[in-house]
Formats: sequence, C-alpha cells, structure tokens
Amino acid sequence: MQYTKKELKQGINLHFLNTCKFKTNLVAVFLTLPLNKETITLNALVPSILRRGTSTLPTMEDISIRLEELYGSAFDCGIEKRGDNAVIKFYIENVNPKFLNTQDEVLKSCIELILDIVFNPVLENGIFKPEYVEKEKETIRQLIESKIDNKDLYALERAIEEMFKDEPFSVYKYGYIDKLNEIIANEAFNHYKNIIKQARIDMFVSGEFDNKDISNYINEKLEFLTPRESQILISQGNEVAQINTVFENMDISQGKLVIGLRINQKDEDIKSVISVYNTILGGSSNSKLFQNVREKNSLAYTIGSNFIMQKYSILIRGGIEIENYQKALDIIKVQIQDMKTGNFTDEDLKIAKKYITNSMNTLQDSAAPMIDYYLSQDLFEQNKKTIEQYIEKINSVTREQILALANDIDIDTIYFLTNEGGK
Amino acid sequence: VDKIENTIIDEKIYTCKLDNGLTIMVIPKKDFTSKYVIWATHYGSIDNCFVLPDENKEIKVPDGIAHFLEHKLFEQENGVNSLDALTNLGASANAYTSFNHTAYLFETTDNFYECLDEFMDYVQNPYFTDENVEKEKGIIGQEIHIGDDSPEWQLYFNFLKAAYHNFPVKIDIAGTQESISKIDKEVLYKCYNTFYNPSNMVIAFAGDFNENDIVEEVKKRLKPTKRQAEIKRIFEDEPIEVKDKKVEKNMEVSLPLFLLGYKIVPETDDIIKRHVAIEILLELIVGKSSKTYHDLYEQGLIISEFGLDYDFEKKYAHLTIEGQSKAPEEVINKIKSKIQEYKQNGINKKDYNRIKKMLHGEYIKQFDSVDKVARMFISDYFKGINSLDYLDAYENIEQDYVENVLNEIFKENNEVISIINPN
Repeated sequence: MQYTKKELKQGINLHFLNTCKFKTNLVAVFLTLPLNKETITLNALVPSILRRGTSTLPTMEDISIRLEELYGSAFDCGIEKRGDNAVIKFYIENVNPKFLNTQDEVLKSCIELILDIVFNPVLENGIFKPEYVEKEKETIRQLIESKIDNKDLYALERAIEEMFKDEPFSVYKYGYIDKLNEIIANEAFNHYKNIIKQARIDMFVSGEFDNKDISNYINEKLEFLTPRESQILISQGNEVAQINTVFENMDISQGKLVIGLRINQKDEDIKSVISVYNTILGGSSNSKLFQNVREKNSLAYTIGSNFIMQKYSILIRGGIEIENYQKALDIIKVQIQDMKTGNFTDEDLKIAKKYITNSMNTLQDSAAPMIDYYLSQDLFEQNKKTIEQYIEKINSVTREQILALANDIDIDTIYFLTNEGGK
Repeated sequence: VDKIENTIIDEKIYTCKLDNGLTIMVIPKKDFTSKYVIWATHYGSIDNCFVLPDENKEIKVPDGIAHFLEHKLFEQENGVNSLDALTNLGASANAYTSFNHTAYLFETTDNFYECLDEFMDYVQNPYFTDENVEKEKGIIGQEIHIGDDSPEWQLYFNFLKAAYHNFPVKIDIAGTQESISKIDKEVLYKCYNTFYNPSNMVIAFAGDFNENDIVEEVKKRLKPTKRQAEIKRIFEDEPIEVKDKKVEKNMEVSLPLFLLGYKIVPETDDIIKRHVAIEILLELIVGKSSKTYHDLYEQGLIISEFGLDYDFEKKYAHLTIEGQSKAPEEVINKIKSKIQEYKQNGINKKDYNRIKKMLHGEYIKQFDSVDKVARMFISDYFKGINSLDYLDAYENIEQDYVENVLNEIFKENNEVISIINPN
C-alpha cells in the first residue's frame, strides 16, 4: 500500500492510498471544524440535508437509483468528534469495474457524485429547500432522542458529558433539541456556506486507479474552492480536581459502569506509552480488567477500556449485575493501583505490544481504517508516522515509562447507569 | 484438493475432505497481511434433541448448551486459557454460536503456525470441571442480560417465538438464566463428543496461503478419530402457519420498533436462486431506492432505511423487515399494500435489472475482507451451498421466477408482526 498526500490549496488536501488487493475503491471527504455547543447542531444537520439531493439528482430517491446503477455503490455520511473537533464525513464505495465485466468508469462517476453531494446541493430560491431542512431537523431530533435506546452507548455518552463538562468534547455529536427547533433554512444554508469556506478539507481515494488521471479530475472539480487557514484544535484536557460520581436510574436489567481516567502527561510522544498502558489494563482479553473482573470473579461479560487519544483519557466500560457495583468498582481500582505499583509482568508488556502490532498490521487489510489512521495522523500529529513507524514506537515503550505514566493517571469520573432498585 | 475458480472476480476456493470426514477450505487472498482461520461444527442452538451415537439413546439437553460449550472450550487442563494463549501470540481470537453452528476463529499477522497449534489443540481437547462450569454461569448470565436490555434482540426473538410453535430457532441462543443453571460437565461432554467429531466440522482458511501446505499442516495437528455416521437430530413437527400473528412488548425506547416477518417453507432445490429472488423482492418493495421507503421518509413515518433479512437453513426459513417509527401499524400497512400491488401488477423490468446489478456489486464487496469471506463460505457450507455459485444467480436469475416467489411467500397466515413500544 502506497500513501501519498498532495496539498491542492492551503487547507485542502488530496490523499491517495494505492493498492491492488481490493475489489473496491473507497472515496472519502472530510470537513473538519472546531467543536462547540453553539454550532454542533447545525454541523450535524448539514450532511443530513446534503444527502437529500444535488442540483442534478434533486431527490434522495434519485441518488439511491444512481448508486444502484453504479453496481451497488454505497454512500454514507455523518458527523463524528475527534478530540475537540467536529468532522463531517462523506464516503462512497464502488466495485472496481474490472471485476464486473464492464468498461464503465465507475470510480469517476462515484467521485462526481460524492463531490456533487458535498458541494453542489439542490437549492430553492438560492438556499436549501425549506422542506428538506424541516424534514432533516425531524430526523436529527429523533436521532437525539434515540440516544437512550442503546444502553451501552447511552452510558458512554453520559459519562463523557459528565467528565468533559467544561470542554468542547462533552457535546453530543447530533446536537441539542432546543437549538434544532430554532434553525431555519436560511440559517442552515449560511452555515453550510461558511463550512465550505472555512473547514479544512481532506479527500481520500483508495484502491486501484491511475493517480494522475484521478488527481487531475478532482483538481478540476475542486478548482472553485479558496485557500483557508486550518483550525484544528489540539486540546490538552483538564486536570482532575476531585472524583465525580454519578448515578442515573433507568428501567434496565444490567447496570452499565463507566470510569473515566485522566492522563496528566500531555505530550505527543507519550501517546504510544498510553496505548500500551491501556492494552495491559483493559485493551484485550489478556488484560487485567478482563482477567480479574470477568474471568476470576465472573462479574461481567463485557469489560474493557478504550484510549481516547486526542483527549489523553481512558474510559473503562463494563456491564455488571446492579448489586455488584461496589465489588466491581473495588476490583477495577485495584487494577489501576497495580499499574502504579508495577504489579504487571514483562510478559504482559510484551503481549500488549504484540497485540497492538497485530491490530495495526490488520488495519492494512481494509480501506476505511487506513483512511481513518492517515486522517488522524495528518490532523493531529506533529511528527507524522507511517504504520511501520507507529509500530516501532510501540515496541520501544519500556516498563519504566509505563510506571512513570501510571502514576500520572487518576480517576476523574465514575458513572453508573442503574435501576430504581439499585444503589 | 478440488479447486473452484471464478476468473472474472478473480477468486478461487480449494476444498478437501480428509479420511476422518473433516472438510478443509482454503480461500487464497494474496497480498493480505492478515491470516484468518475459522473452525466450525454443525451444531448450534437448535440442536437440543438428538440421538447419542454410542448409546443409541435419545437425549434432550438444556437450552443454551451449544453456546455454553463454546465459552468453556477455551479452558485447558494445564490451567491455560486458550483465548489468552492466542492473544499472547499476538492473534485476536474469538468464537460465536448461531442457530445452526458454533465457530472458533482467530486472525493474526504473525506466529501463524504457533497460533494454529494452540487453536487446533484447544478445540480438540475439552476440559470441564464442576468448578469451571459453575464459574461460567455468572459470565453467561450477564451476556443474557445484554439481550434482555436490547430492544432489537427482543424484537427479533419475540418474532421468532410468535412465528414458530415448536422449532427451536425460537429459543434464545444463550438460553435463559434458568436453563443454563441446569448445565453440568457430564452433559457438556456428551454434546462435545457427539457434535465435535471431524466429520461434523469444517475448517476454513482465508489469507495468503498455499492450499497443499494447509492440508498437510491441518493433518499434522489432528488427533486420531473415527469417522462418525451422520448425527440424528430430532425436531418436533412444525406447522406451516405461524403461532401468533402479533406480539408486543414495552421497553425503554424513544420510538416504537417494528418487525414485519414471514415464515417460509424451506426450499430444498433452488436454494441460491430462492435466496437471490427474496433479496431482489425485499429491495424492490422497501429497499433504499423504493418509492415506499421514500414516501414513508417524506411523511416522517420512518427515520432510516429498513433492516431487511432473509434467514434460512435446511429446516427453517423466514424473512424480516425491521424499522423504527412513531406509527408502526401505519408503516406495516403501507408495506403490506405495496406487496399486494406488486403481486397484482408484477415487477418493472428496469427496476428489476438495476436491483440485480446492485446486489451483484454488494456480493463482490465481501471478498475484500478475509473474515467476511471465510465466514460466508462457512455458513453457506452448512446450508449446502458453495458461495461462488451466487455469482451465476445474480447474473442470470429470471424475472418470472422472482414473480413466482413473490406470490408464494407473502401470505397472510405466514405473517407475524412484532412491536416494541416505549414505556
């Protein structure tokens, strides 16, 4: 796999991942903006409106039909948080026509379609169609309300909201109902125009294609865009003042426990150490959390931890019997303490490194995670690393580094989703 | 070693049946860094009543036992847990149980043969004790709770319970807290000895492999066993009609969830053609480009695409259409009247060809992932299908045939409605 990046204009980049091993091409467009409570609802609404129609394919039905004609090409869009930034994302995936016995230029048609969706929406009287705006407000409203449907994700979102209260990262990615109610078509369209003018733009194309041909094609299509100062927020996150414990009731049969840890060392180089630390603590089935909470004490089916890289934080999550709250919490605390006192073996360290190496190598077998990796490197890292360099970095982590780090990690938030009966 | 190849999509599969009855499949994926192995036995949650081959005696086992066995197989006599051992080698390992099979798998980029040693060793060497069986009940109890709190899971199993009078597909794969309490080591050994004979199993390899090497490497690691006659599985007769027409339940959800399902008499001859026909019909009636979907979306009656599925095996078949709506009954009625309309007016040729093209592309996409492709071949194998045969069906299926299927499957007395209402 060959990765190349070209800056088309200031703040607008074209990335290629060339490989022959896939049957498909994946094309992605990312618009990155600072995250904040005031604009998140509009940012979430915009891709939802854009997918409704382009100037040439003015309805969602037209777009669906077009995608089917392009041999089941698939389009998707949405919004996600990356640290304190909002990333509005668009994807289109097509099967390479050589496997379909056709000469059709499927990739170029897909690039044209995705760029039309992002940059060439259907308009009415010079703004978004009010009908579409209203409809998509309703869709986003239901998405916001459906937050409670998946209890695991709900608990995670609530814990993030509590833990990062004073930071942009606490916002819910689909925004807020009260803000949504106020939005009118005119405002949504003006916001969209600002995004197109100001957002950092990254476009990725992966698979088998002629770089020069595709590069020229895209360049021409993006000619109208103007250079922009990119505004990526690289936040360090707050320090722990005191542990915030939150209980919330819901009609559920299994309690959901989320524990947020803050890391008080914030330089870029420490990320690889945190990654190894997290794997030993709760990243794999060999981890301390899995072994002690699940295997030794049978308290949970799901238990583990995730490293939120851009926020220098770790979130531990588990599903437990409600009455076992204190027991599970105590065992988890012991594991965190064990990391501080060095109660883990050299073998644990070796295994964690292998685990990360394997997942990084596996990444190279699919396009979407590769794109995700290179986007993150490009947006956030001063010293950009290839996958090989990243693996090298992981393998150079020492026991001493982990110990030093472990003593700079503290519990910030304990969140428990329980039912009326529990406490 | 037999080879089946499709030169257009440039994919091939090698299969080989050993003297002990084990089937080996090799799907070469050159240039992929990951190697994926999955070993499955034709034994799932529905196999709860059978004749013990040695004693020639009929036995009924507790619900959820195939899944319980899957959990317990990782534990070894020397105290090693094979899931950890594989993780320690850098692999990511897992297992799952479905209605009709149990599968063990790992994926790795490194130490492949060491991983294969551990993998084939643990699947062939069960070690159950009173103590380790007891311990697992707590963990599985929590896994069952996850399903209890999942609206989608409840929606689907309520449908199955309503559709089937006797057929055990209606039983939760993991069983219930009560049924697993009855499981002990003796019954686990009985199930293991019956269903984990190589003649009831298939092992598939996807990745950069040489087929002849793999066959030799597998042979080296197999314990000597006698080929076993086909296992006699006992199922009560299942009426064609559904048990209940409608089932509702209240849960903590933001919007009602609904499922419209049809129980179908399983096809024995043209199973692939039948499958493709049903896929085409579902797409035509309520798929992404259908008028029904877009009308309902415009009216605010649904917020996202329908979930469409056709699940079938030799002994059962049903199709399901799922979604979320503030007015589920209204949506279901619209879908049903659309089905009637299609039955009366037939299918539009242009739509038909486009959907066929789309499904063809979707099918090819699966070959981009070693795990998807291996799992596809395995689950098709137990249905008596070679996955590559789908290509021919996507290209050549006739509209007349699809229209016949349409008239045959959507019948009033095969229909079930399942709804989850907000509290």
